[in-house]
Amino acid sequence: MNFDFAAFLEALIHRSPPHVLEHLLLVLVPLLLAVAISFPTGILLTRPRYRPFAGQVLALLNAGQTIPPLAVICIFLPVWGLGYRPAVIALTIYALLPIARNTIAGISGVPLEVREAARGMGMTAREVLLQVELPLSFPVIMTGIKTSAVLTVGTATLATLVGARGMGAVIFAGINFRRVELILAGTLVIGVMALLLDRILTLIEYALTPRFLR
Amino acid sequence: MGSAGGFLAYMEGIGEFWRGILTFIMENRQRIMEYTLNHFSLVLTVLALSLALWVSVGILISRNDKTANAVMGISNILFCIPSISLFGLFITIPYLGLGRRSAALALLLYAMMPLVRNVYKGIKSVDRYVLESGRGMGMSAAQILFHIQIPLAWPVVFAGIRVTVVLITGIATVATFIGERNLGRLIHHGLTRSNSQMIVAGALLVSLMALLLDFLMGLVEKKITSPGLRE
Amino acid sequence: MIELEGLTKHYPNSKKPAVDDFSLKMAEGETCVFVGPSGCGKTTILRMINRLVEPTSGSIRIDGKDVLSADQDQLRRNMGYVIQQIGLLPHRTVRDNVALVPRLLGWAEERTLKRVQELLGLVGLDPEETGGKYPHQLSGGQMQRVGVARAMAADPPIMLMDEPFGAVDPIVRSRLQDEFLQIQHSFNKTICFVTHDIDEAMKMGDKVAIINEGKLVQHGTPMEVLSQPAGPFVRNLLGEDRGVKLLDLTKCQDLMRRDEGLLQKLQGNPCTIGALQPVKAALEVMLRKDCDTVTVLRGDRAVGALTWQEIKGHIHGLSGEDHEL
Ligand SMILES: Nc1ncnc2c1ncn2[C@@H]1O[C@H](COP(=O)(O)OP(=O)(O)OP(=O)(O)O)[C@@H](O)[C@H]1O
Ligand SMILES: [Mg+2]
Repeated sequence: MNFDFAAFLEALIHRSPPHVLEHLLLVLVPLLLAVAISFPTGILLTRPRYRPFAGQVLALLNAGQTIPPLAVICIFLPVWGLGYRPAVIALTIYALLPIARNTIAGISGVPLEVREAARGMGMTAREVLLQVELPLSFPVIMTGIKTSAVLTVGTATLATLVGARGMGAVIFAGINFRRVELILAGTLVIGVMALLLDRILTLIEYALTPRFLR
Repeated sequence: MGSAGGFLAYMEGIGEFWRGILTFIMENRQRIMEYTLNHFSLVLTVLALSLALWVSVGILISRNDKTANAVMGISNILFCIPSISLFGLFITIPYLGLGRRSAALALLLYAMMPLVRNVYKGIKSVDRYVLESGRGMGMSAAQILFHIQIPLAWPVVFAGIRVTVVLITGIATVATFIGERNLGRLIHHGLTRSNSQMIVAGALLVSLMALLLDFLMGLVEKKITSPGLRE
Repeated sequence: MIELEGLTKHYPNSKKPAVDDFSLKMAEGETCVFVGPSGCGKTTILRMINRLVEPTSGSIRIDGKDVLSADQDQLRRNMGYVIQQIGLLPHRTVRDNVALVPRLLGWAEERTLKRVQELLGLVGLDPEETGGKYPHQLSGGQMQRVGVARAMAADPPIMLMDEPFGAVDPIVRSRLQDEFLQIQHSFNKTICFVTHDIDEAMKMGDKVAIINEGKLVQHGTPMEVLSQPAGPFVRNLLGEDRGVKLLDLTKCQDLMRRDEGLLQKLQGNPCTIGALQPVKAALEVMLRKDCDTVTVLRGDRAVGALTWQEIKGHIHGLSGEDHEL
């Protein structure tokens, strides 16, 4: 291995920046979509009417999680062709699972006696959800979102393969041309991105957590 | 598809596509068999190494909280590195190079997080009063480890093994880009040749393998749990 | 014989010692009950005896040998320990839980199984029905019995029992206590028994050690403690009905008057009581049948009589300022 520090700096300063925004979009759009879909679905599946299905849905989600990321990224290619769209859809599907799972697990994890005490004090089902179940399960749900975020930052590297550009472009170029500087630079940027995203989500979590639970 | 005829043509198109995939699989069954075996042998190799290494590490760190936090911090960071990066970095290291050594080492590192964490969690979650009663009856540290901690942690450890198997099966597909001849290669070559049937065939076979392994491990999981721990 | 001398335990990060200069002797075959409020250090003392906790200072000797220099595991295998939280191994059946120590000691399997059978019977569990069950399939009281059986399995000369009957209702508890007293009489073990239930202490103990904030406040027979409580703390712990408790501990034959003349007069007295019954039962008879004198019988023979006089005198013998019984 011959490591050229100048080339590394070049890759970091000139080659990576254009791809950072692309990568960010590849992460944030699927993440927001995934939250928008998983969160309400998770809540719905913990309501008494739909609770019987929660187990089956969870089993399905767990099975979904076993499908390799490369397969998920590629499976929509024949339908939607190359580009952003199949990548975003695939990444969204991939990000859905941890969020939905943690929403269901978090809300179901609220102790029955707490819920019953709330009902017993005359709270409506809606009030119980908003004032008891969601605040108490919030940390678990946020953990799911963070897991999804970090996973998506990594998986989005593969999106380059189906024509959606991002940091993957830098890394794959490094592999194809055996340029360790490119790989390192790309990895570094992705690592920082994952770390920052996790930090920001932690801050959001803190800001949204009711004071007494902090 | 405005008309019934259009719809039928569309359905026919889909049928055509899937028939194409089946034909592809049939025609290339020998190659696919080779890929499957390669894939499986890589997973097994890595699994054997990981079990030996990470289970011991998990047990060791369960004795010291500070080390545990440090080790698990490292495993979390490793886990966040995109698989393709790690593969790419290893092939540039002389002894590792293109191929199985790099692939195995990278997968070994990915296996660290789920295995170490679950072994640690399993051992730590053993009720402290159960441990105390063991000690109080004069069990030695080794007896407590083998007769209490490991059996009680076993369900959690096995869940970790199951996750690990599925995880490395999935990540192993990416190793095709550093020369592994496994099921990921169908996707890889399909992409370079714009052959969507090949891509879908690869994606399906790989998913099938992961699901099957998960299912089998699930069956084993049910079998091995002591009846005292069920429920 | 167990001797504790100047035993002190100071847990790190706590201001006061959990056990403070604690000295006590327990004779062989004696049941000594440690009693005191929650957090007073009872569990800590037991755990120092089997070295689950290392004392900060002080010494522990068993039959003259220093425990602190013995091999820990060997020491513990020769001491039964019933842990407060029960702590059965959840992945083992009841049978295997009880068989644990014999197997550690390398007993032959046949002997072990026979012993398990015997012990489960002893603590009132059906070996056939319960032996194959797992701990989570048992009730709290059943688990505690398994815990007691497990501690007794290798027939250790010393038993440390930390609130062994804490998780059962009063009726079952009282039955377990009776069963245990019987077992104790036939096996002659040295037993350290922890409880925070003063009635249990009075019933089970040959000696009672009253503890407060890590210090030994009083050590003596239940009778001594009841009749001469050492200070307000003990009086308070014993409760307002200390006199009645005393009557519960005294047998009629020990208090009765052997007065032939009186017995002559009492011929045909409908109020009678067995000589081995507690005086409290005689009091009950007096109140129920509205009489002043009870004839004490041994078999069919009248051997003495109990009158208000003796009972009052007995209670008035109590020291302390509250004599208005
Ligand atoms: N491992 C420990 N570390 C620090 N402090 C402890 C520890 N164990 C017990 N203590 C403290 O020592 C004191 C005595 O505790 P101990 O468990 O001996 O009380 P106890 O008399 O058995 O109480 P209980 O009747 O509630 O079981 C308590 O104040 C407790 O908080
Ligand atoms: Mg205690």
